[in-house]
Amino acid sequence: MTPGWLLLIAGGGFVAGIVSAFKSPRGWLVMTIAGAVAAFAAAVWMLASGVVWDWEPGFIIGGEALHLQLDGISAFFLILLSVLGVVGTLYSSEYWSDKNHPASAPPGRTWWNGLLLNMGLVLLCANGLHFLIAWEIFTVCAYFLITCERQRPAARTAGWLYLAASHVAMIFLFAFFSLLAARTGSWELGLMREHPELAPLFWLALIGFGIKAGIFPLHIWLPSAHANAPSHVSAILSGMAIKMGIYGLVRFTGWLPTPEAAGWVMAVLGVISAVLGVAFALGQHDLKRLLAYHSVENIGIILIGLGFAMIAASHGNAAWGRLALAGALLHVWNHGLFKALLFLGAGSVLHATGTREMSRLGGLWRAMPWTASLFALGATAITGLPPLNGFVSEWLIYLGLFDAVSAHGPAAFAAILAAVALGMTGALALACFVKVCGVVFLGMPRSEIGEQVHECGWRMRLPMLALGSACVAIGLAPLLFWSAITTASTAWRPDLAKALPSAPLITLGSFHLALAALMILAATILWRRVQSNGVSRAGTWDCGYTAPTPRMQYTAGSFAGIITGWFDWILRPQRHAHLPKDIFRAHADFAEHTPETVLEKVVEPAGSLLMRISTTMRRLQHGRVQSYIFYLLLGLATLAILAVMGGAK
Amino acid sequence: MIVAIDIFLRLTAWLLLAPLLPGIINKVKAWVAGRRGPPVLQLYFDLAKLWRKGVVLSTAVSPAHVLGPAVAWIAILSAALLLPVGPAGASLSFRGDALLFAYLLAFARFCIALAALDTGSAFEGMGVAREVSYAVLAEIAIITALLTLCVQTGSVSLATMLAPSAGAGAALLAAGLFGVLLAENCRVPFDDPNTHLELTVIHEAMVLDHSGPPLAVILHGASLKLLLFAVLLVEAVLPLGKLSLLPAIGALIASVFVVSISIGLVESLLARLAFRRVPLLLTTAFLLCLFALLVAWKGGMP
Repeated sequence: MTPGWLLLIAGGGFVAGIVSAFKSPRGWLVMTIAGAVAAFAAAVWMLASGVVWDWEPGFIIGGEALHLQLDGISAFFLILLSVLGVVGTLYSSEYWSDKNHPASAPPGRTWWNGLLLNMGLVLLCANGLHFLIAWEIFTVCAYFLITCERQRPAARTAGWLYLAASHVAMIFLFAFFSLLAARTGSWELGLMREHPELAPLFWLALIGFGIKAGIFPLHIWLPSAHANAPSHVSAILSGMAIKMGIYGLVRFTGWLPTPEAAGWVMAVLGVISAVLGVAFALGQHDLKRLLAYHSVENIGIILIGLGFAMIAASHGNAAWGRLALAGALLHVWNHGLFKALLFLGAGSVLHATGTREMSRLGGLWRAMPWTASLFALGATAITGLPPLNGFVSEWLIYLGLFDAVSAHGPAAFAAILAAVALGMTGALALACFVKVCGVVFLGMPRSEIGEQVHECGWRMRLPMLALGSACVAIGLAPLLFWSAITTASTAWRPDLAKALPSAPLITLGSFHLALAALMILAATILWRRVQSNGVSRAGTWDCGYTAPTPRMQYTAGSFAGIITGWFDWILRPQRHAHLPKDIFRAHADFAEHTPETVLEKVVEPAGSLLMRISTTMRRLQHGRVQSYIFYLLLGLATLAILAVMGGAK
Repeated sequence: MIVAIDIFLRLTAWLLLAPLLPGIINKVKAWVAGRRGPPVLQLYFDLAKLWRKGVVLSTAVSPAHVLGPAVAWIAILSAALLLPVGPAGASLSFRGDALLFAYLLAFARFCIALAALDTGSAFEGMGVAREVSYAVLAEIAIITALLTLCVQTGSVSLATMLAPSAGAGAALLAAGLFGVLLAENCRVPFDDPNTHLELTVIHEAMVLDHSGPPLAVILHGASLKLLLFAVLLVEAVLPLGKLSLLPAIGALIASVFVVSISIGLVESLLARLAFRRVPLLLTTAFLLCLFALLVAWKGGMP
């Protein structure tokens, strides 16, 4: 079966899912999963055969002929979309069931399918106008999904912010596509590298796609939207929707010529996003908000790779650029997988406990062993530790940077800074995920909520298990995925010939395999030894204090305190403390909150300034007819003067 | 087959020699203080005893408390396999293994930290928070040191990177790496391995609730990490890879001995820093590595 038929089945499955969303949840489940599996098959077929599927049926939509194209880059992103589509669909059938959410579940299913369908269409469209239409529809579908719980004011605010930010992005994309169409004379997209006059359009694309991708400081919509959406929606938003921004950047830096500075700017934005993303994450106490900031960090890592790939491309396609590009592309997949896993895990915690506040959780491993171990696996992967997938992609980017350094080329100094920043990001992410896993899953429950929780059912567990296995698979056998990466890189720049990896992926894979086996072996031996030596139980050492309570455990805020202290200049945490004063202290409390600094200190003040100016301007409009006639006369007089002066020349 | 024997012999050497270092350091400290001190082999006796002992587990802990140390130990051990020994090279050597080395040590830290948080104790929480925070600075210093060696040799594989000496910037790099060694292995002036006052230390606070075989694994892993850093420091500075095998091994052993004596002297002569000073000292170590990088950069320019 050719990709065309498979994609038709996929589209049909998603549309049939929309139709059955209200009547039959089971039918929706089957249809949507079938559609996603068909899309997966089509993408795998394309990547395996390397044949671009191009379809121009002659339908006219909105005055433009439909043109769909599945090439290496589209197929690369489509695979991620379909994997996350399958797991998210299955997960939501239990997590957001009709029983728990009678009002929002059926429309939620409709918007979900709309989101999947239109993200798929964006990946396939090779016509600017249709690209924009599909982009707008998926943006709006995501809005309705984010506001599934619109009875909560926080969800409404988050949705509104998302909608506003997305439409600012949309304005830039409109400008980008219409200028592109105006200069080339057609909405058709494709390779246009021979038109150097198109290069400045890159900056419009960077802002438009950058807002969607959540590049710092354009990420203001991202934390609240991810935190307030239902968790399967957060997973696809973070795993796929923000990757659409990356897709746009990869796509159009491949098709269009780019300005000289483009790669440098991308790399700098990448470094800023990576380091500050994880710094903001450390300051968060809300589990899902914290994960959302890690998306900013990982987008930063992807941009570092992509930026250096572009720098290399403008300096004679150095081999290190190919490594950086491979790392960036693989990190797109990896981040999609482990971030979705973490969001689904967070959803499972939220489902069981009803709170995202980490300081109220603790000790969940007892009741939720599956969620706890899979979340820990995802945490290890996102921290970029061997032998999992996060390490493989970060390692490829590192190799690219180190090669750039030893090549002594023009990018060497920048590569030094980027490598140090990447190392710092990794260590900060480690601190952050030690904090999350420790505070949420280990220790004792910090409040009474933690005590009557239950493990999630198999329809929530299976998706997490699948994502976890994918993380392990890419970590242990990275070479299997190399051909997909080269197909995508060749689609990005056809002058990058298909090449064997210049990094020893087989050796790394075997090392990881041996490492994993040895770790299991050592853990088993130690476990047996402990059992055979005899175990006695006692309370945790508390320095002789006789009445410890679980609330005396270290909190997320204290844990991150040292590092957030270093980043005070940008995090600007708000602290409210009433310290105990007298000998017989009546009351003492301490609260800390890390705001979204860019939003609250830059965007909101700028917005309110604009509002104040507008209010002042409104005094001109007061309803007195005499004054309006005066304005008219004034206008006419000005025009007359202009006309007379123009005539004099 | 030869590869398997080679790996086996090296592993045995790493495993058996590692607990010697803390013994030497303690002996030096005792001599400086005018005491006789524990025997050099004390850690071996401790490990043997701990391995046979029963375990007291906190009522709060999950299996991670026991499994974490085992996984961390393997991570450190496999990092040891990547480190070359003079001209004999490493048992496993490939492009990019330098980064794997750094990240394996980070993985070990991750596991020990989670095993510590498992107890739900505020002391352990405090220790872990300090450990992972200061590790951020140590990590960038290590990455900078690796970049220096990469600039020097044009390679990303430890066996090639560590073969020649670090050139003109060797003294700077040695000072920087020595600082990282002290911090990563919880020695004075960053941490005090002797005190058991939970509030003042990092590493000891993290392992307060461990006992029996898991504690043995943690202690052995810590000594292995110390040996790892000492060897890394020596090989980064001295051109051991350029010598023939026997002199190289002799020089390596002698230099590691010198490094352990220096650690002992530092511990005897310095006081532990106040915690707010620790980041400053680590930043200094990072800057030393950065200056070594700049020196290597200038030296490498055609």
